[in-house]
Order: sequence, then structure tokens, then C-alpha cells
Amino acid sequence: MTWRFGLTEATFEPLWLTHWVLAATLALPILFGLLGALFSPRRTLPVALVCVPILLTGVLLLMEYQQAGLLRWQWQVAGVTVSLRLGGVSILMLLVTQWVGAAAALYTPGHLRLTNPGKQARWLWPLMGVLISALSLIWLAADLLTLYAALELMGLAAVGMLLLSGKPAALQAGMRYLLLALVGSLAYLLGVALILGYWGQLNLQALAEVVEPGPVAWIAAALIGAGLALKAALFPLHGWLTPVHESAWTPVSALHAALVVKASLFILLMLWNILLPSSLFAPRFVAWLGMLAIVWGGLVAWRSDSLKTLVASSTVAQLGYLMVAFPLIIGPDIPPLPKALAWEGFWLQLIGHALAKAAMFMAAGNLILATGESSLKGLAGTSRRLPLSLLIFGLASVTLMGLPPSSGFTAKWLLLQAMVMTQQWVAVVALLMGTLLTAAYVFRVFRYSFDETAPRHHYQPLAPSMDLVALALALAAFALGLLAHLPLALLQGGGV
Amino acid sequence: MMTLLLLAALLWPLCAAGNVVWQAYQTPSARRNYFPLVWLTASWPALLLAYGGEAHWSIAAWMLGGEWGLNAISRPWLAFTALLWSVAAVHGRGYFVAEQAKAQAGDQNAERRLLRLALFWPLTFVGNVLLIIAQDIASFYLGFALMTFAAYALVVHSGSQQARLGARAYLILAVIGEGLILGGLLWAAGTAETFMLEGVREGIAAADHGAMMALLLWLGFGVKAGVIGLHVWLPLAHPVAPAPASAVLSGAMIKAGLLGWLYVLPLGAEELSPGLTLLGNVMLIAGIAAAFGAALLGVWQRHPKAVLAYSSISQMGMLTAMVATGLAAPAVWPLLLPGVILFAAHHALAKGALFMGTTISDHMPRWPKPLLFALIALPGVSLTGALAAGMISKWGVKHALYEMDHTYLIMLLTWAAIGTAALVSVCVWRQWQQRQQGGSNAFQWGAWLVALIAALITPLWLPLPEGSIVPPPLTEWLGIVWPFPVGVLLFVSVAYWLRKVGGKAPPAGDLWWLYSPLAAHGVKLAQAIGTRCKAVKGACVSVALAVEQHSMGQLTRLLSSEAWMRHHGSGLMMAFAVVVALLLIWEGMR
Amino acid sequence: MIASFNLIEGGLALCLCVAALACLFDRHLLRASCLFVVFALFMTLAWWWLEAPWLAVAELILGALLTGASLFYALRAYRPNGAASSHRANATPHYDSFRGSWPHGLTRALLALAWCFMMWGAIRFVMPEMVYSPAEHPLVMAAVVIAATAMGAFALHHHLLRRLLAFNILGSGVFLLLAGMAGTEEGAQALISVGLAIAWLGSLLGALLIRHLFLLEGKNALSLDSQTKEQPQ
Repeated sequence: MTWRFGLTEATFEPLWLTHWVLAATLALPILFGLLGALFSPRRTLPVALVCVPILLTGVLLLMEYQQAGLLRWQWQVAGVTVSLRLGGVSILMLLVTQWVGAAAALYTPGHLRLTNPGKQARWLWPLMGVLISALSLIWLAADLLTLYAALELMGLAAVGMLLLSGKPAALQAGMRYLLLALVGSLAYLLGVALILGYWGQLNLQALAEVVEPGPVAWIAAALIGAGLALKAALFPLHGWLTPVHESAWTPVSALHAALVVKASLFILLMLWNILLPSSLFAPRFVAWLGMLAIVWGGLVAWRSDSLKTLVASSTVAQLGYLMVAFPLIIGPDIPPLPKALAWEGFWLQLIGHALAKAAMFMAAGNLILATGESSLKGLAGTSRRLPLSLLIFGLASVTLMGLPPSSGFTAKWLLLQAMVMTQQWVAVVALLMGTLLTAAYVFRVFRYSFDETAPRHHYQPLAPSMDLVALALALAAFALGLLAHLPLALLQGGGV
Repeated sequence: MMTLLLLAALLWPLCAAGNVVWQAYQTPSARRNYFPLVWLTASWPALLLAYGGEAHWSIAAWMLGGEWGLNAISRPWLAFTALLWSVAAVHGRGYFVAEQAKAQAGDQNAERRLLRLALFWPLTFVGNVLLIIAQDIASFYLGFALMTFAAYALVVHSGSQQARLGARAYLILAVIGEGLILGGLLWAAGTAETFMLEGVREGIAAADHGAMMALLLWLGFGVKAGVIGLHVWLPLAHPVAPAPASAVLSGAMIKAGLLGWLYVLPLGAEELSPGLTLLGNVMLIAGIAAAFGAALLGVWQRHPKAVLAYSSISQMGMLTAMVATGLAAPAVWPLLLPGVILFAAHHALAKGALFMGTTISDHMPRWPKPLLFALIALPGVSLTGALAAGMISKWGVKHALYEMDHTYLIMLLTWAAIGTAALVSVCVWRQWQQRQQGGSNAFQWGAWLVALIAALITPLWLPLPEGSIVPPPLTEWLGIVWPFPVGVLLFVSVAYWLRKVGGKAPPAGDLWWLYSPLAAHGVKLAQAIGTRCKAVKGACVSVALAVEQHSMGQLTRLLSSEAWMRHHGSGLMMAFAVVVALLLIWEGMR
Repeated sequence: MIASFNLIEGGLALCLCVAALACLFDRHLLRASCLFVVFALFMTLAWWWLEAPWLAVAELILGALLTGASLFYALRAYRPNGAASSHRANATPHYDSFRGSWPHGLTRALLALAWCFMMWGAIRFVMPEMVYSPAEHPLVMAAVVIAATAMGAFALHHHLLRRLLAFNILGSGVFLLLAGMAGTEEGAQALISVGLAIAWLGSLLGALLIRHLFLLEGKNALSLDSQTKEQPQ
């Protein structure tokens, strides 16, 4: 199974150009972030110009990957081996990271111009750069040390970004997030300590070869799992997620919900795949929690009064879909067809949710910014005045609901097929119920927004770039359902 | 050529209907002629078609695959139907002269009524033609439904209270009948997996539940054909409909029900199931009962058209009994069939002439009265079998039954003829009582005379197969003729006795006055149930609301544990690790 | 010689344990912070003892000096004559007077015990010699106890500064465990160095946040009801 993560020997050595592209991929975001701190751009154009080279590096890496297949790098730095690899999942997630990051960056100037947050806005750019770099490193890292460093870097950058709005609620939520994230990494490190002590390996590929089931692997997996589940906001460890989004800036929320929680989930999936190749019950346990997450997140979103809480709680439910796929991907005796289907469904759901959730946060942010109210009731009358923002919200929710032909539909269809093949009927019921609940909370938003009775006097006009970026993301999530073969082709070995 | 005629037969009436619509928009009402030539000739192509010989058409594109044809049954049927429609149309032109004058003078009501009649008359006719020539279920049913529902406009024409009652009775029963027919056809067609009437016939003969399908179809068509119990619309609708409409209703459309039986029931088939034989016997009894019961009820009626309606029920009862022999004693059927067709054709024209005759006595031309009333009575006398075509048609049936020794049936049919004679006498007597001078019109009495003559010479023009018409030998004449004088004598003596005793006549429509209170009670019951249901619904809604409120409260309380989870994130993480570790160890140690 | 080594290592482990426990469960915040600095100095000694001088230097600078400074910086917010005095008249500003319910404490204690057993169970397999002579590696024993207790204390406490302290001690325990099990090879050293840096950054950020939160809202703990706004429609 580890070959799916690209943890195998590479056929070709990377070219010298590829080295530079890799360096640029990892370094450019930080560099441009620092430039942003210096100049604090107020227009979209310079940001767009800066995004181009970063996106270019991603495209170059993609071309390189398509030509050479798996790529590996290994360096000795002061006696420590750092290894990276570029597999199918890595390049896919790298591209998603870069494009969603670029979308968030393009959205930011308009948002900052309209909200006028003050001096601390300067810090957003370097933090965003560090976040993108750290995320890219996580997708590429092939040893536990690099993963740990990148994870910590990402966590601190994320906390920093979420704190920027400076409201007391944000500080409190950020404090909780900071403490939990730090403790979560320590739990992860504890697991790594056991692994290092027992097998003496940090390199994932070498580890996958020597690892064997036993108490050390189990306890290490439990510790790592707990720490990463906390960071990935898996039910029931998701409590910190909603307040964090409640008062954060829109582009930060979009980035965080789309990518940051997914990174921890990715590491969790990869490490459990290595440590627990023949476990049946731990993935099942996660799947049961996932079913609860689907229902719980849906219920919380359905009953929430605030638009941002609704969107954030829907993340909990959507992560539940990913959790439900765990026993189909990890474990012994899974027939190859459902395994492949679940694998594809997992990543498609992850990507589709990343795009749609980013779009949804931006649309919600636009609505809140324009109406000046963050409650659902404040949306009354927006159907006439802000049809575009509502349309984006609707398009994104189509993906979240899993209506055809969105990527959410394709992903859930793949997962459903895999579940039916392996006869996991409870998961099927949870999946369908999640769709129902999603429809319930989405239509609750629309019910309020189509209320024409409330008179409305003033709407803050929005920058066109804000709506356009969100629309592009929502459409991408929507169209991915029909173009699902493109990303799935990248997931090497995903096809049957 | 035949195909062209077929097209004309179907499209020309539609042209007539279209012309009515066109006229309604184009011609000012003062100069509008509601019955132009195209309208009068609407049924002529169909008449020509009937004399064009046998033919067959297959049209795959038509609905579920059209199969139309003119065969030994449908050809004579189309002939007498089209002839009656043609004559009735001409008669109608004369009949509606006064109303048309009113409409042209600016009476909007009359205008609307005439437009409606002129529009639906050809449509009804198209339905009638289509059902006769159709050999596939879809066309047949389409034609039947079209005829049935378009005819509503003919019945309700005058718009009076009674007309609306009659039309409502007609419509209610028609809908019931359509439902039964549709159910029977779909069941039989589904069982036999066929789209053709032929297939239905064979399917019913072969199917396990063939008797049930046949029962459905018998009752469904029986609504049209006036089977006893379902006949109540006839005496209600006929007196109120305009005379030409009554003529086609009683002459042509009633026969559509009979034709339906002939098309779908496995008459004369060998080795019928016991259920079908039993059904045949039931039909036989019902037919005889209708033949006698209608006569007994009919003689009390005041309105000549009501009397004629009962006479129709009685005649159709006889026909029902004959059709029943096709099931009860299949061997006789091949011999009987031409007689049945002749009987039906003769009855159609004779009844048409009698109905038209009722308007002649209302608007008497300046003819000698004895001659006029003799002419009015003539088709009735023929109907009893005492004269001309009537005698031949009676004999046609009788000799077939003689061959197979069904003496009881012959006897019953002969006795039923006494009733016919009495009914005809009552009708003529009522007409004599209610006669009125003036307002006669050449179209009116001309068409009547044509119908009269056509009725008397039916065997001469009806395109029956060779040798199927047998003139009765002289020795049998007395046996056929005697019911007529007996019936007249009976009527005279009873009328004399009644004048002394006095008595109250039963109302027209008999059983209707039993059905409608029952139905009204049923409606009331349904309303009561509805009210009860409403109360139950209200209770359900309030319970659901309470449950919702309660569950929402529970949900809110449940969701408050979100805050608990938030506050105990680190503890939960520790528990998560412990649980996963225990799970893994437990699994590993197993 | 071995016995003396064990004696010194055992003493160090004992000191570490005592300092850590005292720091974790002292309600007087100033004293607890001082105890943490002491604990960090003991940690420096432990690194030295484990022949990782670079880690000792890093611990001394990052752990004792900078983290301690951050903690004291956060503590200054609670000074009675500071800006915070306007918010609340707290008689003993450096004292955490919060009392949790006993089921809360009991579950945390049980969970900490479970973690202790869990780690101990894993260490049995990583270092088989420990099964026969648990006193062979007193530092590892101490690390297990410190890490489990700190984890429990982190989940138990409400006061933000005490949670920050618990996090720091937990980190030290984990690092010590890592070094004890994997030795001080380059990989382990790199992991520990990264961890130390991150721990200091986190502590700094946390200290800043604690100050801000106290100055803005007068809060020294994450309130339970801050987000329970979900009301029925």
C-alpha cells in the first residue's frame, strides 16, 4: 500500500533543473511573503504577478513528474538524512495547495482594502508564505524529521494567521488552538521517539520495510494518531476548529479549512498505512467516529446561528467522509477494487472539499462583509442585492452536498461504491444522512437570504476580485466532478 | 381508393368541426349558419366507405400500432351507423331551425348551445367511426372514449335542469363504464401480451381469470348498452336530449356497447371455461330481465321519448340475451351473428325513426292525421316483428335458435315482443295526446321519412354476407306477428282499467332514484370520514409539532456538548490514544 | 564505577521528577515559574550527562533563559500595580485559585496513569533490559513519569500559564524519553533541537497571548461558555 504514497525506489534521478524548481517551490512563497511584508500590496495585480512564478514551479514539477515518474531527493545535513519524494499524491496536493494559496492571496488585497485592519495586516503575507512552503514540504517530505519540522512550522504559521484579526475571541480561540496544536505535536513526537528507539529509522521508505506489527508499532500508532487527529480536527477532537474560524479573516479561514487540517490527516493516513498494515479495528474505530462526525457536524451546522460557524462545522462533517474511508484504505484483506475506488474517492473528496470550502468561506466572508452582520438572520434580503455571492455559496454547497455533476458527487459515488462492495451499510446510511443534513443547513442559509421582508439600507460594495476568485474556486470544485479523471490519473496506481 | 375514403371518413368530420370553430370566429352571429353543407355531409364519406368493400390497414406509426379493418361485422355496422348519423344530421338541421333563428336574432345562450352541439356532433361521430373500424385496443378505446365524452355535449344541449340531471347521470355512468372497460382491456391485454382486440378475445378465452375480465368488459360496455342496473341514464338522458341526438344515442351509440361485446368477448369460441359459461347465463338472465322489466316500467311513462328509451332498454335486453347465447351456448353463435347484426341495424334505424317521429308529432305537417300517425307508428310495428324488416330480423334470430332447439329462449323473446308492442302503443298514444300543429320543416320530415323507409327495408341495403338473410316461410308468419295485436290489446285493456282505478306512474330513470340517495349517503359518509380525517390530521400535526419542539430542545441540549468537547480537547486526545492503543493491543493479542 | 554513575543518574532523575512535579502542581505561579527554570537547569545537566553538549547549550539558552523570560514576561501582566489591577481586584494575583471538580481530576489522573502504562509497555519492547532492572535507566523512568504527569496536568489545569508550563515540561519529558531510547544520534538530536525551538516559539507566542488576553478581557483561563451561543430558533 505504501507504493501509493510514492514510498518506493525511483527510476530516474532528478535533473539539475528539477533541483532548482524544487528549491523555488519551497523557497519562493517565503521569499515573496517577506516581500509582501515589506511592501504590503493593496492591489490585486502585483499579487497576481507574484503568484505566477510559484504556480509555474508547480506546473514544471508536474511536467517533470509526468516525464520521469517518481522523483526522490536525499541529502545529508550534519549527519541527518533529509529525504523528499514527488509521487502522485504529492504533486496533486502540491498543485492544489499552490492554486488554493494563490486564490487566497488574490482574494486578500480586496479584503484588506475593505476591512482596513491596521498594521498587523503586514504580517499576513510572510505567514501565508511560510504556510504554503510548510504545506508543500509536508506533501513532499519522506522522513519523520522533515515531516515534524514542516508540521510544526505549518501549525505555528496557521496560529499566527488566525490571531491576526486581534479580537479577544480570536485570541482566545488562537490560544486554545496553539496549546492543542503544540501538545498534539508532542504526542506525535512521542510516537516518533518509540519508532526511532525501536527501529532506529526516520526514513519512511526504510521504515515501511522494517516495520512489523507489535506493541511498539501499535502504541506509536496510537500516540501519533491521537496527536494528528487533534491537529486535523477529527471528531471528537474538533472542538477548537469552529471558534478559530469564527473570528478569523476570510482568506485565512479559507486556507486553513482547505489545506491545514488536511495536511495532518494526510500524515495520519500515511503513517498508519506504514505502521498498521494489518489492523482491522483502529481504522474501523476512526470510521465510526467519522460517521458520528458526519451527523454531528451536520447537526451543529444546521442549528448554528452564525454563518461562519455553519461553514466551519460543515468542515467537521466533511472530514467525516474522509474518516469513513479509512477502513477501505488501511487494513488487511480489502479487495483491490474497493480499495482503489476508496483511494480515488478519498482524494477526490479531499480536493473537492478543499476547493469548495475555500470558495464557501470566501462567499460567506463576502456576505458578512457586505451586510456587516455575521448571523444568518443578517442575510435577509441578500438574494436581491448580492446574487453573485449567494450563487457562489450555492455552487460550493452543491459540491458539499454531493449533487451531480460536482466533484463531491463523484467522490461520494466512488466511496459509496466501495462501501457497497465491502458491505458497510452503516457507512452508506451515514453518507446519505450527511447529504441530507448538508442540504438542510445549506437551505437554511437560502431561506434566510431569500427573505425579502427585512428592509436593508446599506451594503458595503465588494471588490470584483473577491467575487471572481471565489467563483473560480467554486466552479473548479464543480467542474472537477466531470474532469475527475485528470486528478485521478495523477494518483499513481489509482486506476484498476 | 379505400384509403382515401378512410381518410375522408375520419378527416371530413374533423373538417366540419374545424369549420364550426372557424365560423365562430369569422362569421358574425347574425349570418352564421350552424349546419352548413360540410356539417350535414360529415358522415357521408364513412357511409361510402362501408360500401367500398372489405379492407384492412396497418399503421405502425399510430400509437401502439394501428390495425384498422372492415370485416363482416364492422362493415354493416359502419353502414347503419353512418346512415343513421347522416339522416339524423339532416333531421337536426330542420329541428334546430327555430333555435338558429333565435341565435341569429342575438340570443347568446342559443348561440352558445348551437355552437357546442355543432362542434361536438362531428367529434362524436369520429369517435363512433373510429371504434367501429378499429381492430387494435388503443384506437378502439380512443374512439370509444371520444364518442362517450363528446356525446355529453349532445345530451346537455338544452341546458335545462332536467337536461343537466340527465347529462350528469350519463356522465357518471359513462365514467364508471370507461373505468371498467379500461381495467378489463388492460388486464386482458396485459395477460395476453397483445395490442389487438383479436388478442384480447383469445386471451380472455384462454386466461385463468378470463371470466373476471369478461365480466369487467361486459359491465363496462353494458353501461352504453343499457344492461339492467346500469341502464338508468337512458330514460333520464333521452327525453331531454334533442331528438336527432336521441336518435343517434339510441340508434348508433348504444350499439357501440354491443359492438364492444362482439369485439372483445370470446363469443362462439370452443371449449369455454365454466366461468365464462356462467357469465353467459348471467348475461342471459340479465338480458331477459331487462327486456321484460323495461317494458313493464316503460308503459307508465308520460314522455314519449322516455317510453322509447325504455323500449331501447328492452330491445337491448333481447340483444344481450342473444349475445349471451354466444357464451352460454357457443355452437349457435355463427348462425346467430348475422341475425344479431340485422336486428341491431334494424333497431337502430327504427328507433332513430321513432325518435325523429316524436318531433313530427310536435310539429305536425299539414298531412292527414291518420296517415301521419300510421307512419309514426310504422317503425314501431316493424320493431315488434309484425312487418317488413322487423319480421325478417326476428326470423333471422329465431331460425338460428330453432336450429339448435333453444325453444325457451324463443318463447321468452316472443313474449318480450308483446312488451315492445305495448311500449310502441304507449308511445304513439302519448304522442297523440301531446301532438302540436305547425313549425314543420322539410328537412325534418324528409329525414324522418328516409329513416322510416330505411328501417323498413333494412335487409335490402345492409351489406351482410351472402345468404345470411333468410325470409321467414309463410307458415311461421303467424308465430312472429301475433305478439303485436296481443300487445296492443293488452295496452288498451290495461289503459281502460287504469283510467278507472287510477294510479301513480313510476318516475323515469327508476333505479336512478334509488342510486342517487345511496350515492348521496355515500358522499355524506365520505365527508364525515373526511372531517374525521381532518381532525386526526390536526391532531397529528399538533403531535408532530410537539415532538419537533421537544426534539429540538433535546437537540439543542445535545449540541451544547460541543462546548464540552471543546473544553476537554486534550483529555479527549488522551482518551483517543488510550482507546486506539487498547484496540490495537486487543486485536494483536487475539 | 557503574554504581556511581547510576547514583548520579538516579539523583538527577529524582531531582528532575521532584522539580517537574513541584512545578506542575504549585498553585503559586511565580514559584512555579522559578521551579520551571530550576527544572530546565536540571535538564541541561541531564543533557550534559547524556553527552549531548549542544543540546545542553540549546536547553540552557532556549529552555531556561528564553522560555523562563517569556514566562516571567507573561506573569508581569498579573502584577497588582500593573494595568490589570483596573480589571479585577485580585488579592493574590500570582495564585491560581481555581478548583476543579473531583471527577475531572480523577479522569485526568486515570488517563495520565494509562499513558504511563502505555509508554512503559512500549519501552519494555524498545529497551528489553529495562524489564529485568528498571533502575538501569532512571532518566527514562523519570521521563515517562514526567511526560505522563505533565500530559495529565495539561488536561487538568485551567489557568493558561499553568497549561503553558505543563506543555513545556511535557516537551522536556518527551525529549528526554527520545534521547533515552534512541540515544543521542544525529537524527534524535535534530528532532530534539527542532522540538526545543518550536517549544520556545510556542511559549513565546503563548506568553504574548496570555498577556493580551488578560489585558483585554481579564481572563486567565479559556472560558467554557464563550462559544455556547447555539440557541434554539
